[in-house]
Amino acid sequence: MTEPQSYELATARLEEIIKRLDSGAAGLRETLELCREGRTLVELCAAELEAVGRGLEELRLDDLVARLEAGAGAG
Amino acid sequence: MAEPVTTPAGIDGSTLPGPYGVGRYAAGLRDFLRERPRVQLFGEVWNLRLSRAKVYLELRDGEGALPCSMWRNDFDALRLGEGALGDGAQVVIAGGLDYYAGSRTSSPAFTFAVSGLRVAGEGDLLAQLDRLRKTLDGEGLFAPQKRLSRPALPRTIGVVTGEGGKARDDVLAGLRRRGWQGRLVWAFAPVQDRHAAPRITAALQDLAATGEVDVIVVARGGGSLADLFCFCDETLCRTVALLNVPVIASVGHHTDRTLIDDVAALSCSTPTHAAESAVPVHCAEARAEVLTMTRRLGVHARRALLHRAQTLARLSRAPGEHIAGERRRLHQRMREIRAAGRRRVEREHGRTARKALVLDRKAVAAAGDARGATRLSALAMALAAHDPDRTLERGYALVTDRAGEVVTSAAGARDAGEVRLRFGDAAVDATIGADDD
Repeated sequence: MTEPQSYELATARLEEIIKRLDSGAAGLRETLELCREGRTLVELCAAELEAVGRGLEELRLDDLVARLEAGAGAG
Repeated sequence: MAEPVTTPAGIDGSTLPGPYGVGRYAAGLRDFLRERPRVQLFGEVWNLRLSRAKVYLELRDGEGALPCSMWRNDFDALRLGEGALGDGAQVVIAGGLDYYAGSRTSSPAFTFAVSGLRVAGEGDLLAQLDRLRKTLDGEGLFAPQKRLSRPALPRTIGVVTGEGGKARDDVLAGLRRRGWQGRLVWAFAPVQDRHAAPRITAALQDLAATGEVDVIVVARGGGSLADLFCFCDETLCRTVALLNVPVIASVGHHTDRTLIDDVAALSCSTPTHAAESAVPVHCAEARAEVLTMTRRLGVHARRALLHRAQTLARLSRAPGEHIAGERRRLHQRMREIRAAGRRRVEREHGRTARKALVLDRKAVAAAGDARGATRLSALAMALAAHDPDRTLERGYALVTDRAGEVVTSAAGARDAGEVRLRFGDAAVDATIGADDD
């Protein structure tokens, strides 16, 4: 499942941040805070993209269920 | 090839007659079927196919079906409008059973040979479908799936489709086009007829129950509406409507919508399109965008830090500049104070000069007053010298009559008779006596 902060929310917020920074209206303190927040969001987006970029994993529903049950049993 | 000359022996122990040559038996069957009574039948047309010589269709209802054929000339003579015999159209047909016996090089075929056909109205199945669609819509079941948020970048996608179908390859092609390489969970199920619906329903429920799947694609590579009727199953559609995972339907039919198209979060025309819709983000482009945003954030951060450094440098220079400024201001104030002092001294000097002039004038006036006093004193002394009181003090007396008038002669004294003699210390009354001489 996706993270609590989803990719689409993160990218939407990033676009807002870039737009605000590009406008030049942000003061020094706000700029630094926005850059800090932006870096966190970029890391989140990069992690989401990394998760769907490591190679396609195909499995049958039965295999997934068995894996989940094994995981639950081990847990 | 020639007919077999000899007839083989039968099966040991079998009491059935024969063996007979199959061609002869098939021809006998054909003759038998052709002798059956010719009848009229009614049902729904499905899978109408037109060839150059013949028209083929299936006549179906809820209990069974018959393969039917009709000479193309007879069919064209009916002058039916285009689409009049779409899947589900209810018709009445007239004809009888027939059998094509086939040969060594062609397949046999059983058919109901149609000699007459009349369109009877909308098919029951489509009418049922329409009623069910209205029921589900009335219950608001078209909306819940559309309210679910679909992730732009799902990590796990579930796919319900036939195991050997082309839809499987199409889904993979769509995901490749997006550059998506996450986890794909296949839930294979028959997707062919209405009996497939429970299997599809179970697959959907099982996928959602794992809690691992972000979005589900239900895909089929197309077919007639009859073949797709499993996707109009009421239980299946109610299950999809209330599923908490978004479902993207792609049952591959362009003209007739199945009910799953209505209840699903999204309906796509092809499995490839469904797969692309399941991953709205193009992963490679998204990576490039994230990289771009990272660079832009870096530029802004560096610019902000540079600005901060410049501000700090300016602030560090500020005390010296402040002191220099204060010194300049103090010097200016001192110059102003000196100038003001000079102006004040000059002003006081002028004022003092004017006062001195006034004093001089007053002094001159005062000197004039002193000379007057001396003269006045002399006059007073002269006046005192003539004062009668001073004379009286020296022994003289002043004679006045009763009226107070001064008597200056003896004659006057006689005339007055009664006089007053005023001496230096007091006055006495006197009476003038008779003159003796």
